[in-house]
Amino acid sequence: MKRISSMIGWFKNQELARKLILINFILVMLPLSIMGYFAFSRFAATLEQKVGDYQQQTMKQLTLNLDTYMAELDRLTLMPYQYEPIIAFLESKRDQGQALTLEEIKQLNGFVSQVFLNGRIDIVGVSLFGESGASYVVLPESQYVTTYKLDENAKWLKNEQMRNGQSTFIGTHNIQSTGGTIFPVFSIARELRSFDTGKKLGYIVIDVAPSVIHQILSQVTLGNRDAIYITDQNGGVVAGKEHAQPIAAISSLLQDGELEGVTHAAVNGERQLVSFVTSSVTEWKTIGIVPVAELMKDSFLIRNSIMLLGIICVGLAMLMSVFLAFQITKPLRGLIKLMRKVEHGDLLVSFPVKQWDEVGHLGKAFNTMVSKLSELGYLLYETEIREKDAQIAALQSKINPHFLYNTLGSISMYAEVEGNQEVVKMTNNLSRLLRYSLNGQKERVSLKDELDHVRGYMTIQKMRYEERIDFQLESIEAALTCKVIPLIIQPIVENAINHGIDQGIGNGRISLSCRIDESLLRIVIEDDGIGMTEEKLSAIRRRLQYSKDLGGSSGNGLLNVHRRIVLHYGELYGLSLESMPYQGMKVILTLPAVHEELFKGREDIHA
Amino acid sequence: MFIHRRGTSCLIYMIMALLLAALSGCASQDEEDHPQGEARAAAVKLEFWTPFSGGDNQFMTEMVNQFNKENPSIEVVQMNTRLDDYYSRLRTAIMSGSAPDLAILHQTSLPQFVQNGYIEKLTEPARQAGLDWKGFNANILESIVYDGNPYAVPLDTHALVMYYNKSYLRQAGLLDGNDMPMMSSGADGFHAFLKQLKASIPPDAAPLAQPSTRIDSVWLWWSLYNQLEGGGAFYNEELTETVFNNPKALKALDYTNQLYKQELIPPNINDSFKLFYDGKAAVLITGMWGTGAFEKAPGLDFGVIPMPVLYDHAAVWGDSHTIAIPTKLGMTDAKKAAALIFAKWCVEHGEMWAEAGHVPSMTKVVASEPFNSLKYRSAYAATANYVAYWPRHVRQWSIVEILIQEFEKMNYSQQTPEQTLENAAKRVNIELKK
Repeated sequence: MKRISSMIGWFKNQELARKLILINFILVMLPLSIMGYFAFSRFAATLEQKVGDYQQQTMKQLTLNLDTYMAELDRLTLMPYQYEPIIAFLESKRDQGQALTLEEIKQLNGFVSQVFLNGRIDIVGVSLFGESGASYVVLPESQYVTTYKLDENAKWLKNEQMRNGQSTFIGTHNIQSTGGTIFPVFSIARELRSFDTGKKLGYIVIDVAPSVIHQILSQVTLGNRDAIYITDQNGGVVAGKEHAQPIAAISSLLQDGELEGVTHAAVNGERQLVSFVTSSVTEWKTIGIVPVAELMKDSFLIRNSIMLLGIICVGLAMLMSVFLAFQITKPLRGLIKLMRKVEHGDLLVSFPVKQWDEVGHLGKAFNTMVSKLSELGYLLYETEIREKDAQIAALQSKINPHFLYNTLGSISMYAEVEGNQEVVKMTNNLSRLLRYSLNGQKERVSLKDELDHVRGYMTIQKMRYEERIDFQLESIEAALTCKVIPLIIQPIVENAINHGIDQGIGNGRISLSCRIDESLLRIVIEDDGIGMTEEKLSAIRRRLQYSKDLGGSSGNGLLNVHRRIVLHYGELYGLSLESMPYQGMKVILTLPAVHEELFKGREDIHA
Repeated sequence: MFIHRRGTSCLIYMIMALLLAALSGCASQDEEDHPQGEARAAAVKLEFWTPFSGGDNQFMTEMVNQFNKENPSIEVVQMNTRLDDYYSRLRTAIMSGSAPDLAILHQTSLPQFVQNGYIEKLTEPARQAGLDWKGFNANILESIVYDGNPYAVPLDTHALVMYYNKSYLRQAGLLDGNDMPMMSSGADGFHAFLKQLKASIPPDAAPLAQPSTRIDSVWLWWSLYNQLEGGGAFYNEELTETVFNNPKALKALDYTNQLYKQELIPPNINDSFKLFYDGKAAVLITGMWGTGAFEKAPGLDFGVIPMPVLYDHAAVWGDSHTIAIPTKLGMTDAKKAAALIFAKWCVEHGEMWAEAGHVPSMTKVVASEPFNSLKYRSAYAATANYVAYWPRHVRQWSIVEILIQEFEKMNYSQQTPEQTLENAAKRVNIELKK
């Protein structure tokens, strides 16, 4: 259970393409292999059955053939009934080895010759045994013998005595010629009886070489490694096809009285198809044995072909399935890549929609989403600016500037009257400063105006610090007409006074210079004050680079100016610092050197 | 992803390759094994009928097996029948067109088969097989040539010889230092020899074993008749009448009859061969084909000499086994060629056949080391030179049958020798007029 659920879990986590391939594989493989298996096993079983039937038929035909031959031999055992002298000989009372008369010799020899000539060439022996001691035995390569007696204990004899005159076929046994040569023969024996008295007269036994059976069997082929042979009633082998080794396990298999059939047996670890038929004439069994593998050779070829074809098909299907799976999931993978980009803030992406399936719809939705996202970002930004603007406006509105101007004008007038020129000068400059500062309606001013403002501010500061400040201003003519945003220099200078002079270090020298370098307007403010340590400098640089804070009320002057420049002109511009402890500080403002009113356009792009 | 895909296809290729290999493996396995059976099936099969019922059949079977082993392209299948039925069976087979491809014929019965072309002329097939007729014993060769054409390949000469049981002869004091029988010359000497034997051997043993029936007594008569000066005449010049009812023939027959009547040949003997084989006979006069079999008889100490000369000169009944090709529809040149190859092989391996006891037909075999190293055979090999064949007559075999029947009656004391010759001559004359 756990394994299955872990398998399912594993499957769930697989890539989509892999899932598709796996599913395809199972969908192709499972039905194909199940169908292949069932089709082939069914086919094989049917084939085996058919082959078995066929073999059985062959055995029947074979047995029929043999029976024709056997019936012919069987008829020969009836011949004594047609020869009066032979019946008389059998009836006669004789001592063992009693000599025959010339007449008898002629009769018996003539009779035996008739049997030999009427029968097949393979009859090798004829024996006549009378109930009262008569005996006439002709064996191969021998003259007749009159001294032989029947073996009273012979199995066939006991069998024959119960058959009411019907003949008995005796399986292959050996007979010995008078010269000592051994001949394997099978025999047909018949009990002869007198019609008049109903008494038993004796027996006739005909011995036949099994070579004819052998020949008949050899003409039948069940397979390359077949074995065909004939067994008698007791399981002894009568004759077999060349090399056919009778198999003990099989003869025992057939002992249970069955007359014919097809069965299987394992011999030497090989499955064999065994078919057997019992002859009605001889009561012998014709047995055919063929290894099943031999018969099923063709079916194995078919199986292998099916398997090869199946594997090729599955292989092709799998290649196609792999191709398709990747083809289907390709746009999804593209989408994933685009999403990663968006995640990193790049909203300038778009998914190329090529088809209108689910993936196409997804791509379109993605595109819509990305465009909505960038729109929202801009809105947020604008809102923030406007909020700032509103704050400034509110600040401005807190003091009525006209009231201030008028008050300062009154102070100046009184001082004029009193003859205090310093107050007059200070008040007038202050008034001008205020006017410039508070007249925030103007978005762009010329650098000249900005420098004038700084000069006014410095005049006041000089008076405050009683000439401790050494302010120098240099500017090229071309720079003066440049348009800049207002109030960017004065905070820097104020910062220089705060940090350079208020700390009481240096000579209070502050220098301001403006120049144009390759369309860049550079404004440099230098002091010789306390300067900054390395850590403090890098801290401020970091703040300049990363802080999005516009400065606000508590804003640092430098930061405020920097942000305003960046917001107006872009990341390329802004403020940079150089300083060494006790060596003063150098602030460089970098702005585009713009002479025309081009701001409107730039601002639009920036939004 | 790319790596995964390559892995999958690699696996597929590997499986395919494996299966292909397995398939081809199966296929190649099927194509092996069945060489021997086919070679045997393609061989020219020759059916070979033989009439050997003495001890000689086993030697012929041995030769056939050896030949088959040495010549895989020819398979000779031997079929042996007892002599009693052999010729009627062969005649029937030839008349019904189902004759064997090869058959053993006795020289005596050749005329019967040469007539009407029942056996093939061998001039051409023998030339092709490279069989040199000049290699045969002249006496034998003559017997198979008709109108200048050879009709059979002579295999041997066989004649009557005298076998003797050394134990019985020694017992009777009739064996000399060389284990040779001691007998006075002439008919009387042989008679006395047998009488002396009869006196010393057990009563159930035969002094001379001869069957009462069948041809053996005719052979003996024919041999003795031919030993007489001026004897051996059978027909007149024109072959229209018999001339054997004469005093010389009667003299020989009377001598034979006396042996039976005085029970020097015991009555009612059926199988004289077996009698001697079993050690129940002191002397046996029969064909030389018994030698091989007697050599194999357990406990039999025997010797063999040529047929004794009882009368004027050496002569003995004899015959030859020959190999002939019966004429039939299905006889192809290929079969004829194969048959001649077999026949040639047989005569050239005469020493194998000589083991049965016969004298080989080829002079070079008789002179060869293997033949002369055989015991007994060389002792009677010269017999071939004075063999008295039956006269050449188309119906000789049936005429001899008449003699057998008449002689049997005499042996069973149903008629006298005079009556026997008279009756036989009468019947043969009738036969000749047919």
